[in-house]
Amino acid sequence: MSDFLNAYSIQTWLESCPQGYLEDTEYGHAPGQKEPELILENPTLRQESIQSTVQLVVGERAALAASSGLINSAPDYPSKRFLATQTLDEARHVEIFTQRLYDLGVKKDELEDVISQYANPHLVKFAEVLLEKVDKGDFLAGVVGQNIVLEGMAFSVFEMMQASNVELNPKFAKTLSGTIADERRHVGFGENRIGSLLQEHPEKKPEIEQMQKDMTYHMLATFADSFRGNAPAMEETRKIAQEAIPDQKHQVWHGTDLGSADPAELENVLADTVLKEFKTRLGRIGLEYQEPAKP
Amino acid sequence: MSVETVEIHAREHDSFLEEVHSFEFWFQSVEGYLAGHPYGVDPSTPIPDLDEEEKATLIATLSTYCVGELAALDGAGGMIGFAPNRQAKIFLATQAVDEARHLEVMLHRLKELGVTDSQREFESRANRNLLAFRKRLLEFVDAKDWEASLLAQNVILESMEFAAFHSHMKTADPRTAQMLSGVLKDERRHMGFGENDLGRHLAQAPHARARLREIKKELDALVLATFEDSQRELGTPASERPEIGRLYLETVARLGFDS
Repeated sequence: MSDFLNAYSIQTWLESCPQGYLEDTEYGHAPGQKEPELILENPTLRQESIQSTVQLVVGERAALAASSGLINSAPDYPSKRFLATQTLDEARHVEIFTQRLYDLGVKKDELEDVISQYANPHLVKFAEVLLEKVDKGDFLAGVVGQNIVLEGMAFSVFEMMQASNVELNPKFAKTLSGTIADERRHVGFGENRIGSLLQEHPEKKPEIEQMQKDMTYHMLATFADSFRGNAPAMEETRKIAQEAIPDQKHQVWHGTDLGSADPAELENVLADTVLKEFKTRLGRIGLEYQEPAKP
Repeated sequence: MSVETVEIHAREHDSFLEEVHSFEFWFQSVEGYLAGHPYGVDPSTPIPDLDEEEKATLIATLSTYCVGELAALDGAGGMIGFAPNRQAKIFLATQAVDEARHLEVMLHRLKELGVTDSQREFESRANRNLLAFRKRLLEFVDAKDWEASLLAQNVILESMEFAAFHSHMKTADPRTAQMLSGVLKDERRHMGFGENDLGRHLAQAPHARARLREIKKELDALVLATFEDSQRELGTPASERPEIGRLYLETVARLGFDS
């Protein structure tokens, strides 16, 4: 156990993250990079950007609460140490996505109102299911919920958003690339640490699988609201962007052309990618993926 | 979105706090003294040749420090969940990493001293008064009692560590002194946060001061008893023992929390 945890030392984290891929960045992007004028000047694009960034802030606030809340209940120092680095990673994500809201013109004294207005209720519920376990000091369930389910979801969502923004918004794409690197590390810890603990506590499996099922339902419902439930606005956003940048190169993500696929197709490719990862990762730690009802 | 209408002085102060409690500010602060210093030490600093007695004393001292740092890590991590605002949460996240780093660099120094299972070593040596302090701190944290947690963590515990490390640095070998120097720089930042946040809180809720005074009295006794136990164990002459306790009390008083 301790061998793999040595790879998650503060020293390694310092060298690879703040002194590595975050070196010479501010709020995760190159100094001086700005949101494109097109987004800032077009009310539809700006609103869409604010709405999607709010979901990132909500998710990262949950991740910050969960990772910090798990430090106390971690059974050993190396796990506490890793969770401390994860806590600061999540705090940084809260900071950079909040900063993006400011960059998009949200006033500081309006921040909480804007977040309340746009936060998807299913995403809020998703966080509540996880934080209930964390509050009870349930380390096993907390790490599965946080480092496999939440981080697994965040990883794919960030990847998809990053691919969509490479041409349209290099500043945001750069910000996302740093968070993707962080999430990759977090997911790795969850898989490695929990596998051995679950072997010691097989009686915990049904309860953890139920949590995964509940969280997955709320995740899929969030995706449904964000894509199918938001189809007209998404189509409008895409039309404006394509008119403004007609020669924009379409990005392909997991076999889907992000520039031409309709919202339902985008929802499917994201959900399929995340669920496939869930199944693989849960299988690796000895849990069986539980399929929720379709939202 | 409407035009910003916050009162100018309040906004400036909020902006200041937002800056100094940010990841960006933390990284700029630590980068200066951690870059090129793996485990808090310049690699070119030679490993000192300590005799067995000096080595045993240093191992005992570092083991006690580790217990304090573990308490600080658990405390800072636990406080994030009920910190009153985003800036405080982000600051405490930086503090959690600082505390985890302190533990890591101390465990690394223990390894250099030949301790093979440093984690087990420090846990087995835990001072009962320090453990009682940790228990009390985590009770405040479990109760989500912000002002008591902040007093115990960022004023009392940080001042205790400050006094201990500051005193130790005067006689420490170069590697240990360098390591402690970086740790002290972090502790100053943590104490500043406690002083600032608690000071503002008490200005708005002066009635809380009496309760905090009682908590401080209770915790002071544990801190001073920890110093006494550790110094007796290290063979410090009785006449010199009050010095570190005095430094601790002066540090707490400088932060505005005298008896």
